[in-house]
Amino acid sequence: MSPSQQPTSTNPSSLKNQFAHRFIRALKTLNHTKTGAAHDHNQMYRRSIRVKIASYTAMASVVGSRRAWSRAVLWKIIKRSRNQGLLLRKRKRRNPNPKREDFNPFRNSGQELKLRKLVPGAETMDSWCLMGETADYIKCLVAQVEVMKTLVDLYSIT
Amino acid sequence: MSSRRSGSGASRITDDQIIDLVAKLQQLLPELRNRRSNKASASKVLQETCNYVRSLHKEVDDLSDRLSRLLSTIDDDSPQASIIRNEFTQTFPIIEFLRVY
Repeated sequence: MSPSQQPTSTNPSSLKNQFAHRFIRALKTLNHTKTGAAHDHNQMYRRSIRVKIASYTAMASVVGSRRAWSRAVLWKIIKRSRNQGLLLRKRKRRNPNPKREDFNPFRNSGQELKLRKLVPGAETMDSWCLMGETADYIKCLVAQVEVMKTLVDLYSIT
Repeated sequence: MSSRRSGSGASRITDDQIIDLVAKLQQLLPELRNRRSNKASASKVLQETCNYVRSLHKEVDDLSDRLSRLLSTIDDDSPQASIIRNEFTQTFPIIEFLRVY
């Protein structure tokens, strides 16, 4: 299975289209068989988590290795599927801009720490990269939400 | 730390570059987007960014929940489901001959 040859630019409609296709494909492989009335809350919860993971994975795979946040998401998924214990070596990506380690205009701001917890893979990057990653992450989240809304609307009509 | 090492581009981040980056981020935030008159402070932008990312995460959670419920009510093999899927894939067209399978 070769990766898509279509350029994954940050063109928002291209992003949405590719995400939509990967997401719908992932959903098809999820087990959604009806088990009577869904009284089992635990089961409903687990299904919902699976859809959520499929959604984040689909978006991260569209972005691929271009971004630190998408690499972090994909890496987390891989680790999870390998059942953590088997993975012995964690591949650490070297900081591509080591000179910018002293760049920290928001040094005293607790907000930056909060942001680092929200954006995947953002814990160790310098502030400059953090801003760029956050901007890209937001763009992708927005696209993700729009596509999911469309799908929910389509399924809701019936 | 001196900036004597050259290597990968700018040796010093200018204030203008910082302001520019914060302004770009500000443009993405629905709360602050329309504030053209006065650029919001960096900490305000950061704060709004955190709030916005959290709200987007929450939206994904809610939509996943709704979607999983809806999917469990429709048989995947039914014609109804394939109509929905076709409608969906047509709303988000990709160039067919480059499609990955």
